[in-house]
Amino acid sequence: MSDRMSRLPHPLSRRQFLNAATAALAATWKPPIARALTAQPAFVEVPASKSGIDWTHVAGLSPQMYLPETVGPGCAFLDYDNDGWMDIYLVNSGPCDFYKPPAPLRNALYRNNRDGTFTDVTIKAGVGGNAYGMGVAVGDYDGDGFPDLYVTQYPTSILYHNNGDGTFTDVTAKAGVAAPGWGTSAVWFDYDNDGRLDLFVCRFADFDKSKNVICGSNEPGGHFYCKPNVYKPLPSRLFHNNGDGTFTDVSAESGIAHTLGKAWGVVAADINNDGWLDLFVASDTAPNSLFLNSKGRFTDIAALSGIAYSPFGVARSGMGVDAADYDQDDWLDLFVANVDHETYSLYHNNKDETFDDASISSGIGPVTTLMSGWGLKFFDYNNDGNIDLILSNGHPDTTIDRHHPDVHYFEPMLLFENNGSSWKNVSAQSGPIFSRKIAGRGLALGDFDNDGAVDVLVAVNNGSPVLLRNTAAAHNHWLGIRLIGRKANIDAIGAKIVYQAGALKRHVTKVGGGSYLSSHDPRIVLGLGQEMKLDWIEVHWPQPSGKIERFTSVPIDRYITIVEGQGTWK
Amino acid sequence: MGRTISIETGEESNPRAESMSLLFKYLRPASVLAYAVFSALPCMAQAAKKSAAAPSASVRQAIKLVATTGRCKEAVPILRRDLPRVTDKDLRYHSAMALTRCAMGLNDDQDAADSLLLLKREFPADPEVLYIATHYFSEMGIRAAQELAAKAPTSVQARRLQAEALESQGKNEEAAAIYNKILEDSPKTPGIHYRLGQILLAEAGATGSTDKAKLEFQKELEVDPTNAASEFILGELARRGGQWSEAIPHFTRASTLDVGFTEAYLALGMTLNASGKFADAVKPLERYVAMQPADPAGHYQLAMSYARIGNKAGSTEQLALQAKAASAAQATDTTEGHAAPQ
Repeated sequence: MSDRMSRLPHPLSRRQFLNAATAALAATWKPPIARALTAQPAFVEVPASKSGIDWTHVAGLSPQMYLPETVGPGCAFLDYDNDGWMDIYLVNSGPCDFYKPPAPLRNALYRNNRDGTFTDVTIKAGVGGNAYGMGVAVGDYDGDGFPDLYVTQYPTSILYHNNGDGTFTDVTAKAGVAAPGWGTSAVWFDYDNDGRLDLFVCRFADFDKSKNVICGSNEPGGHFYCKPNVYKPLPSRLFHNNGDGTFTDVSAESGIAHTLGKAWGVVAADINNDGWLDLFVASDTAPNSLFLNSKGRFTDIAALSGIAYSPFGVARSGMGVDAADYDQDDWLDLFVANVDHETYSLYHNNKDETFDDASISSGIGPVTTLMSGWGLKFFDYNNDGNIDLILSNGHPDTTIDRHHPDVHYFEPMLLFENNGSSWKNVSAQSGPIFSRKIAGRGLALGDFDNDGAVDVLVAVNNGSPVLLRNTAAAHNHWLGIRLIGRKANIDAIGAKIVYQAGALKRHVTKVGGGSYLSSHDPRIVLGLGQEMKLDWIEVHWPQPSGKIERFTSVPIDRYITIVEGQGTWK
Repeated sequence: MGRTISIETGEESNPRAESMSLLFKYLRPASVLAYAVFSALPCMAQAAKKSAAAPSASVRQAIKLVATTGRCKEAVPILRRDLPRVTDKDLRYHSAMALTRCAMGLNDDQDAADSLLLLKREFPADPEVLYIATHYFSEMGIRAAQELAAKAPTSVQARRLQAEALESQGKNEEAAAIYNKILEDSPKTPGIHYRLGQILLAEAGATGSTDKAKLEFQKELEVDPTNAASEFILGELARRGGQWSEAIPHFTRASTLDVGFTEAYLALGMTLNASGKFADAVKPLERYVAMQPADPAGHYQLAMSYARIGNKAGSTEQLALQAKAASAAQATDTTEGHAAPQ
């Protein structure tokens, strides 16, 4: 017996120690019973009886345990009728080779009635989906002023063109964006700086009914949803917008297809400030990807940048992602949520195309040790000018509680508040939803009541969506801005707004996508805290514009629209 | 395991030899020994004469006689003497196995341990070797514990062993009481604060702080400044809290106190990387990857260090090694659900 062994009465490896220690900590961690510190918690759930959103996701959970069953769905806030009020889109499962719904299923489009209620307009709009739905990406790809819908599905996805009259047309075939396979998250962004929105579609593993793997024992109830390492990775897809309603698959020549992954989440963000939008893609049991955009040609630099793997050099189960400059150093940082026992990662940008994992020092890592995260988004939930973080969680395996007493299929949401220098888990005091355990999946941000406090929509697997009204920002001032690009892409993806209000100077970047299977209110809300006047704002339009427009004498506590090049707001 | 050769010729197995091998495999050494009492000696004597010139032949003969007649007492000296000179791998396996079984049956711990360690060294993945090793060393452990309890029941060692047994049963409170009593009687006993620290660490919940555990590890180091494990755990506790500057000296001392403590080098390198001291991280990580080349963690962390200090070639090379090691690890990864231990 070696000397060291003799000094270790119960020899343990470092990882055993880590696992034991963190599991011991996390095992006893229970989401505290949420208690309102004030009369109104930060987020109040709007029940279906009040909102009118009575649609429910049906997963079709089966004994064969096909993996798509537990990973959807996504959701979106969008203003499909351009009335200035956020509508809601919800994605459902549907017929495919492994699932024949006993009753017809459809996605749902809910029009905002401007009074806190919504009306189901799906049938008239014609956006019900036609296969096993996953997620949705919203973007005005043809620049006609009306947002279009790209709905990811298995085995093929759909592009719905918004006709501007409350109806949509399925233009998938003409556009050439069916993207056969298992589509998951998608994002609209202008990858080649030609001013048009292109489309990136995450593709998960090589899967169909015949390739389904049964995991577990053959004892009754012995099956479980597989860890995806049993499936082969595939490349994601990039479609170039030709400007005539058609797209060209440029996955190969752009370099995207060089990377094989099992992609769940994507965010388009310029991580090196070179004016070209890059892509951060989360992969499950495959390395994450960071596609660095060099004039329309992508190179995956994730491994060298430090975001591909866990600190132990193994691929994790990356799911939801986002990007924001949370520390206001002018460089976009990244976030990825993983599965239990992997912790989530907050990646701080080192300004040299590398990142440091700040999950431990931020306190986010230890809190998320036993959790599995999907939809997530950086945003200033209380309009104090600092960028916070919200997450929806839930384990992907419905049987997990039987196998691991410390890990649960239903998990509570999390809210982390950024005070400008550190993060604080404020979930417990932010409303009952942060104690309620759900199978949270997609998460979208949108101010559905136009009060400047950005609300949250969570898509729940095999359940009803959760609509959360934000009350936390009521005591702070704000300005909401809709940007419309002219030379730049019409949705102004990649734009940056810098603003000064007294001593408060901040900037917010409009990234493409982010979260998981979901799409967000296109407007940007600037948090002003207690400042009652905005001194100025600067809009840094993305390429090919690159124009910087400065505005003074702008109002607060309302929404305005700024059209590129007009030099004014309205 | 299917490793059967003819003990007559050294060639491929025949059905008879296989059946004898199986019989031998499942015969308990004691019964083999009993049978040996009535065995004939002339054959053994003949084998012994030949052995000096042809160890393989004598060993084969010894194995055969043990297998067929169970004459362990006579076989052991021959096997002990000639086994080191046997070069044929299969024959070494069978002769060492025969020696191990016979020696165990004869309560000959020296020969049993020697031959079992040889088997473990030369056939480390053999299930039969591992099975026998498990039983033998367990039995040795039980016997030693019984001796300790019988010969020195009030000794620190006996009480400590009792406490450790309680710990393994989850009876932490009872174990801690014994540990504390030991410290009352002998405050300078090494290893006891460490165990108390482990108990407190295991019992620390989300709201329970690890401060008390930390204190025990610190006290352990006062008693035994060479306790690398305590240094390591103090480093980990600091690292978990993002206290890089506190963690680094602990990991440094752990790796200095025990140069074979591989995980300490990795932890040190990781922490140095996390604190931005990439150049400093290179040395411990290089040492780690040399010691644990199959672990992707070392290659990955070293790749990060190299990349940040401008050694792009080194970084690329380490990333390739990391990918290879990770791929090998994943090939043996479980297909269980997401929560399967990583």
